[in-house]
Parts: sequence; C-alpha cells; structure tokens
Amino acid sequence: MRERITRRDLFANAGWTALGAGLLARPAGAVPAPASPVALARCESYGAELLPALTKMFDQIGGLSRLAKNKTVAIKVNLTGGAQVRLGYIPIGFTIWTHPAVIAATMHLLGRAGAKRIRLLESPWSSASPLQEHMAAAGWDISAFTSAAPNVEFENTNFLGYGKNYSRFPVPKGGHLFPAFDLNHSYEDCDTFVSIGKMKEHMTAGVTLSMKNCFGITPCTIYGDGAPESEPGLVPRGGRYPIHTGYRAIAKSSPQEIDPKSPRQGGYRVPRCVADLVAARPIHLAIIDGIESQAGGEIQGRYVKHVTPHVLVAGTNPVCVDAVGVAVMGFDPMADRGTAPFERCDSTLRLAEDLGVGTRDLKRIEVVGARIAEVMFDYRKATGPIDPRQLPPSDRPGPRRFPDGGPG
Amino acid sequence: MPSDSQVPFRWPSDWADPALLRLIEGSPINCVVLEGSAEGAVADAARKAGLTVLAADALKSAPLAEIKWDSPSPRIAISGLVWPRIKMSSASPRSADAGPTGAPWIDSNCWVARLARVRAPGKPIWLDFQKGKDDPILTAASYRVAIADSAASGARWIVSLDDDLSKGLARGDGDSLKTWGSVQATLTFFQKVAAWNFWEPWGTLGVLSTFAGKDEFMGQEFLNLAARGNLLYRIMDRALPATHKTDGLRAVVYVDNEAPTAELKTKLLAFARGGGLLILPKAIAAGFPGEKPMQCPVSGYDLKSFGKGSIASAMRDWEDPFFLAADVHDLVSRQNDPVCLFNVRTIWEHYAVAPDAKSSVLQLVAFTSRTNGLVSVAVKQPSRGATMYAPEFDAPKTLQPVIVEGRTEYHLPAFSLYAALEFKS
Repeated sequence: MRERITRRDLFANAGWTALGAGLLARPAGAVPAPASPVALARCESYGAELLPALTKMFDQIGGLSRLAKNKTVAIKVNLTGGAQVRLGYIPIGFTIWTHPAVIAATMHLLGRAGAKRIRLLESPWSSASPLQEHMAAAGWDISAFTSAAPNVEFENTNFLGYGKNYSRFPVPKGGHLFPAFDLNHSYEDCDTFVSIGKMKEHMTAGVTLSMKNCFGITPCTIYGDGAPESEPGLVPRGGRYPIHTGYRAIAKSSPQEIDPKSPRQGGYRVPRCVADLVAARPIHLAIIDGIESQAGGEIQGRYVKHVTPHVLVAGTNPVCVDAVGVAVMGFDPMADRGTAPFERCDSTLRLAEDLGVGTRDLKRIEVVGARIAEVMFDYRKATGPIDPRQLPPSDRPGPRRFPDGGPG
Repeated sequence: MPSDSQVPFRWPSDWADPALLRLIEGSPINCVVLEGSAEGAVADAARKAGLTVLAADALKSAPLAEIKWDSPSPRIAISGLVWPRIKMSSASPRSADAGPTGAPWIDSNCWVARLARVRAPGKPIWLDFQKGKDDPILTAASYRVAIADSAASGARWIVSLDDDLSKGLARGDGDSLKTWGSVQATLTFFQKVAAWNFWEPWGTLGVLSTFAGKDEFMGQEFLNLAARGNLLYRIMDRALPATHKTDGLRAVVYVDNEAPTAELKTKLLAFARGGGLLILPKAIAAGFPGEKPMQCPVSGYDLKSFGKGSIASAMRDWEDPFFLAADVHDLVSRQNDPVCLFNVRTIWEHYAVAPDAKSSVLQLVAFTSRTNGLVSVAVKQPSRGATMYAPEFDAPKTLQPVIVEGRTEYHLPAFSLYAALEFKS
C-alpha cells in the first residue's frame, strides 16, 4: 500500500479507489457505517473571516437549529497538556489547543440558533481547578466565551465536578477495549454534544482530530495514574497511562477493560479506547480547527513545527469529519497500522467505523465547500523526515511524566 | 559600614591563614563572619583590609519562630533554612520529587525572607544556611541559586562554603577557583541591583495570619505553596496593623481560625464592600454573613455578594495548605495575576514596585542550570518597555513589548539561573 497521497491522487478521480485497496474486509451483509456531509473551508486566520466561514459551513451541513434550538449543548474543546507551555513564543491556541476564536464563534452561532445553555467542557491536566482557570492560565480572556452566547457554563470534567455521581455510558456492540465508561455528568446532561478538535498528528494515535479529542472526556479520578484502586479519587492526579499502557487497572468501581490480556501498547489501546468513547458518547457536531496548528505531534520536541494549513472541517459525523481531516493533512483515511499516519498504531477511524459510528471512505462522504485537493496541507512535508529513534517511546509500561502535562 | 550594605561571608573554620583573604579581594564581600571569637590573625588582617568582622554568635541567628523581632540588632539573621534547590527524589538522584500536581518540588527560603521583611521592616535580612549532610553535592549553580533565591526575596545569604570548596580554594584548585569566580560574579551582579531589595513586594492577594503558634503551619505553608504556584501575594501579619493595607489588592485570604479584632473585621468588611474578595475559613464565616448567594466556581466555598465585592467562606475546615493555595488562586482567578509566564517549569517569580511607584521589577529565579529559552512574560499593566538583567549578560538588554492577542508580552532571550525585567510605567 502506498504511504502517502498527493494532490495528483486527489485530482485524479481514481485516487481513492486505488488507495482503498487493502482495507479490512467488512463482513458480508453488514450494514455500512453511516455517512454524513462534511463542510470544508479555507480560512486564512482567526480574525474577521472566521465567523462567516463557520456560518457558511454550518449551513452547508444542514444548519445548527436542529442541534441547538432549546437545547443544552455541551462542547468538548481540546486544551490538552499544560496551559503555559508554548511552542516557542507562539500562544497555545495557534499550536496544540483549539483556538479561542473558534470556540467563541461556534458558541455564538449555537446561541444564535437557539441553544438554551452552552457548557464548555475539558479535563485539564492533573487539576480539579475550574476550567476557566485552565483557560486563564493560558492568558485567555474568559469574557470572550461568557459574552459569546446566553447561559454559558464551564466544567472541568476530569473529576466529579458539579455532579453528584458519574454517568455510565455503555459502548454499543460491546466495545473494543472497554464495555462502558463512567464520565462526568455533563456528558449526559446535554442534548447535543460537540467536539472541537485541533488538526494535529499524535505520537500514540497517529492523528488527533475530533474523535481523539474525546480521549480527554475520561476522568483521571477513575482512569488516571493517581486514581485509587477501588473507587474514584476526589481529585485527578497524573495522566491516563492506565489506558495508554494498561500498566494498572482503572478504579474498580467502573467497568474494567474487556480483555486484561490484550496488548499493553498505546498504539493498540488508545485508538480502541477513543473509538469506544465516540460510540458510547455520540458526537452530534464535529469541528476541526486547522487554521493554525503544529505538525510533528502533540508534545513539544525537536520535530514539532508551527504550521498554517488555513482550514476548517465540520460535520455531524465525527468519523466522516476526521476522514476528511486526515486527507487534508496528506494522509489516506483508509490507511491502517503500518501506514502513515498510523505507522505504530491502529486507525481510530477504522475502529470507530467497525463500531458503526461512521464511514471513513471518502467515496461515500459528500464534501461540501472547498475540495480536499484545494486545501490539502501535507503535515509530513512540513516537518521533513523524522528519525524514529528520536521519538520518545510511547508504549513504555508504567506511568510517565511529561513536562507540564502529558498527552490528553 | 551600614549593615544594609554588608555582603557577608562565613569564613571557613579551617582557613587559619590570613593570606586566604586574597580570595575575597576585589569581590563584593565586605563582611566576614568568624566562628567563635572575632579576634585573632584573620580578624586583624580582615579589619586591616577594611572588612567588617563579626563573630557568628553575635549574629544571634535563630530559626524563624525564635527570632526576637524587636531586638536592637542591626540585622535579622535566620537559621534553620533549606538550601534552595529542586528536591531530587530519594529513589533516584536523577529524578526530581514531585508535588501533588506532578510539578517538581522546589525548596526555597523566599517566604521566610518575605515574612521577615514584614516583621522587621527596614532591617537587613540575612539567611544563614549551609550544606546539610544529606544534601547533594554542591555545584557552582547551587551557589548561584542560593544567592539568587535570597536576593530576589530581598534578603542576603551569608555565603557559606561546603568542605570540598573551602578545601579546594585553600589549596588553589582550578575547579574550585572557577566555582568561586562564578559565586563572586553573582554577588557582584546582585550588588549592582541591591536597590530592588527595598522595593515593595506586590501581588493581588493579601495573606492575613499571625503565621505563628497554632496558625504557624497553615499560614507559613500557604506562603510557601502560593509562591510555588506563582501566586503573587503581600503578607499581612495580624499582629502588625501597619501591614493591613488593602490598596491594590483584589482579594484577602484570612487564614487563621481565630476571629479578627473588631477593628480588623471592620477593615476587612470595608475592603469587601468596596469591591474586594474576602476568603474566610469555616471557623469564622458566621461572623461575615454576606448578602446574596452567588455561583462559586470553586467547590467547597459559599460565595456571597457584599457591597461591590464578595465573601467566599469555606464550607469545610482547611487542612491541607496545598489545596488551600490552589483554591485561593482559583478564587482570585489567574485573570487577575499581574504577570503570566510561559515556558517556565521550575521558575519562581517575585514582583516588586519601587517606592515612587514609577518602576517595577519582575525577578525570575530558575532552579536549574539548564538554559531557559523561549520564555514569554505577559504583563497586566501596559508598559513602554522593559530592561532585562541577567548575571551572564555583559549589559542589560532592552526589550520591546509585543502585543499578543491584545496583551502586552515580552519575549525573553535565553538566560540561565536568574533574570529580572525592570518596567517603567
């Protein structure tokens, strides 16, 4: 199988058909995973052109009214790792975090579409502090969010938060890694769930887009390094290495992994966990901020580079949205383990597709707005060839510490 | 020589030869502290060289809790301190111990110096610490951190050599002389900026406690842990009404379980009524009923409006100063931090304002010898520019402000153990 796709492939109608060869065989007679249109737009900056671009994109996928009117909308944003870590002098919203303007513009449009309440959600690194404080630590102006729409709330979902109990989410079809998850109440107490990811590569999962963003909905009081053995902790401590490497069990009060003898490798476990999560807690609106980002992974290192793809992706099916996102990044969404960007992991897209969440097959996805070839930004070209010996070992057993926060 | 310009050096007890005074010739050291008597050949030679000679006993160094604050001594000397450093794990000397957040644990005396300055205003504060027997081997960086951590807090360290360095210097060992050179260069640097020692520490939070008796643990540890989280504060000693100044504060945390005097309570209520946030322990909350309930972003607190401000009362007794410091930072909000640092991991900040309020200085103490590159500093107050100082710079550097997402930032060139930014308003 070819490792990369090129603009030429994309301009050639036959490109995806050729690249699709070799994908996992679907059982005969199985119902194809659903497909939904995906809006794709070029957007030069987080300035004045952002709101019109998002407005048009949301219209292209059927409008926000059906998702927002008189509804409580929960938005999981991607604010992974430490708030005060920057790539060089570049503010974090231009590299690994969802940019605040994308969050505020989406909130504004959801509010205009009639949302009765909008709740911003994220699980800040090893902290039970209010989510607003995680944002403020990055230098963000919280009033940009509170003034974006009526009835805006924030919740740190890395622990019980404002809830009285965790909410249990069974995984349809039984799940790949976990049969069910216990999550902060906000993931249940909403009518519409939105995931706003960042267009990034990821050391363990290949890419992190709208689906991988949901890895961070798992509370570290249960799934984290510092979780007590038998029941949820009061405050989150450490990262999610019990999921990454399986070096220890999660808190026993929550559903345990299906097969404790399964591989203890992040590249096996994280994509499966993410697929399970997006099946258990469906995403109604998936957005990828690819206006500015960083190539070469999520954690700082010598190969990480600030990039400006100038692109936004949105849709109602996260697998379809991420498939388009992967293609925009210069990869084949039908690729799997051994092929870029999944050289050392399984494809979250394929695993979510297997659970019936959505299709990753671009032949079945209607892309509206810009064409993929027009906005494609080759992430691997941006960083140049990477010497794998220089990469940190992602699958090392046991807990690991990262400067100011690890991978989400 | 006035005590506030003295730069003290503890003369190693095995240095019997007065000729070793040559090692401090030309250095900022102008005061030698001798073990035992301040008489003898070394003392005589030192006096002849124009140095102040003090007997160590005459300093009356004592642990913080035993200091006689009203003593007529021209200086306050505090012992029982730690060597400032990143605390290494006992399990592996190559890895750092971590606090509950996973951030490396740092030992610093800055809160001790800050508290001493409040209790003995105007008096020089000397920090009297030496290498402990279980401390790791000292390097040139260890000495430079010891000087910087003390100076940034407005105090002076009584320069004290460990056995290896004192013996090495006595025999003229090259590596020891190199280390000694870097110690002297660091002292010279801080001597040039000694005026900052008398600038007023600034922050948006007032910390009110007796810091003594039954309030010693919570009060003192709060100061230590707040500094660790770069929560800038001003100390308000309950026993010293002159320190109860609330101007410029966003919030006051009253740490103690004992109710305030009627006079102090009136002052605190006036602060809240005027727009401040008052943070109270459960034990005294009933005496501050507040007005209308408000949504509190921090769990475990009952927040009520009070005039233009608000009162946050703890719903549980405070037991862990780590969580108290974290809660208070959340209640005050990082949006009100005067300074925000980026790409720093083991850097502690100190912010002080000149007596004429026209200048301020942000001092950054890093606790590792590795280069701190790509550090950004965002400041709340607009400024025309900043001058950056670091011991390794040949001359101060002028930094231009950069507007990033509407805020003023300074992007710092690389520095190692210490840097300072002086702002002119």
